[in-house]
Amino acid sequence: MATSKLLVSTLRKSLNSPSPSSSFRRFSTAAAEAVAPASEPEDSLNIKGVKISARPLYLDMQSASPVDPRVLDAMLPYYLARYGNPHSRTHLYGWESDQAVETARSQVADLIGASPKEIVFTSGATESNNISVKGVMKFYKEKKKHVVTTQTEHKCVLDSCRHLQQEGFDVTYLPVGNDGIVDLEKLKGSIRRDTGLVSELNVSFHTDAAQALGKIPIDVDKWNAAKDKGGAPNEWGGQERGIRSGTVPTPLVVGMGAACELAKKEMDYDDKRIRALQERLLNGVRAKLDGVVVNGSVERRYAGNLNLSFAYVEGESLLMGLKDVAVSSGSACTSASLEPSYVLRALGVDEDMAHISIRFGIGRFTTEEEIDRATELTVQQVEKLREMSPLYEMAKEGIDIKQIQWAQH
Amino acid sequence: MASAAISRGEILHLYRSLLRTARQFCDYNIREYTKRRTIDAFRQNQNLTDSSAISAAYSDGKSQLDVAKRQAIVYSLYAPTIKSVMEA
Repeated sequence: MATSKLLVSTLRKSLNSPSPSSSFRRFSTAAAEAVAPASEPEDSLNIKGVKISARPLYLDMQSASPVDPRVLDAMLPYYLARYGNPHSRTHLYGWESDQAVETARSQVADLIGASPKEIVFTSGATESNNISVKGVMKFYKEKKKHVVTTQTEHKCVLDSCRHLQQEGFDVTYLPVGNDGIVDLEKLKGSIRRDTGLVSELNVSFHTDAAQALGKIPIDVDKWNAAKDKGGAPNEWGGQERGIRSGTVPTPLVVGMGAACELAKKEMDYDDKRIRALQERLLNGVRAKLDGVVVNGSVERRYAGNLNLSFAYVEGESLLMGLKDVAVSSGSACTSASLEPSYVLRALGVDEDMAHISIRFGIGRFTTEEEIDRATELTVQQVEKLREMSPLYEMAKEGIDIKQIQWAQH
Repeated sequence: MASAAISRGEILHLYRSLLRTARQFCDYNIREYTKRRTIDAFRQNQNLTDSSAISAAYSDGKSQLDVAKRQAIVYSLYAPTIKSVMEA
């Protein structure tokens, strides 16, 4: 321990010292820059024109989540001495990597109740959905011509369905209720003799099992499991049984496996905690504010995802005001555009409300103090914006906003 | 592995070592999680009586401690220069 501490402090010194006289040559400036931005003072940084003096508390777990240190610990050896290509059949390097990949495959299979043979590693949910939607339908195209999906499906599934439509397949887009849940009777009614695939999303507001993995118990027949939301590393690929070409990146697959094993062990503990934090957030906000709408079902939802709208508050302003809280607006994937999420619209959320939904994503590493701080800041900001809002004023006086005849310009 | 029953002293030592290592994480969230998870795991296992269950829990804790020690160093190597708002 003592030696490693010493090593750490020497390393830090050498990495952080600006050394303009360049008494030693750096191997690469990229690493040094990532650690210490050259011209910035130590206590703040400037990014996208915003001066930031502290890292915001992070509540955007549906966009990306931190890699668990236990997962990173499993991966690191495969970035160091064990760098073999798992497809190399002629030496130790290949064999040990291959073994690690197969272990990971079993760990994934074990979590979701599948056979390791059914696990195909891909680069992520979008690719998985593409392979299974197009792959399944093209495989059965002699007999099956029909696909059922929902209006709230992830864009990558909808795009694959569009593509199939262009090739002459029929696609039924099922509507969903206000709580985001499909009416099973309608689903039954839509299935035909030639229906080859029913695709439906799982964790509210995101794509199938990618989000559900390791968070709610699922059993699998043909699930696509992607990794980036389960505490596993982001991105990857695979020479996978002829379904997908490309070298399987051992460290990432090992990380996926480790994350799955950990998820299985920790699911009960994490779920209990995350549920409590979600309740704490919702109750905290509701205690101080009226006009708080939960988008999606309140009971039947994944606890780590709370999508809220605040009446009479413009969402972008709220997001701008919440600069110490890292959250996303609406449902992901359209977050770069101002277009109200098509998912929320399909849920029957009013257009003006769909603009202002904020997604709070809670995870394994979220603390109670963070939830309390986020509650406090959200309440503060909403109150401030409502104070400036004439609509809120009018609503308080009992005027129905929807009945107002707006003057033409 | 085949050693005799694990003493109370050894268990307490493991508990303190885990908490001490947890404090060395520079990342706010990882540090808090490691503390919390350690306390909860020991609380959950405090009524174990079966000696094989105790030794399984003990060796699991030991390997968690090894991971935490290594990772506390890795995290410190790449610590961001600015802290979380929760620590500011």
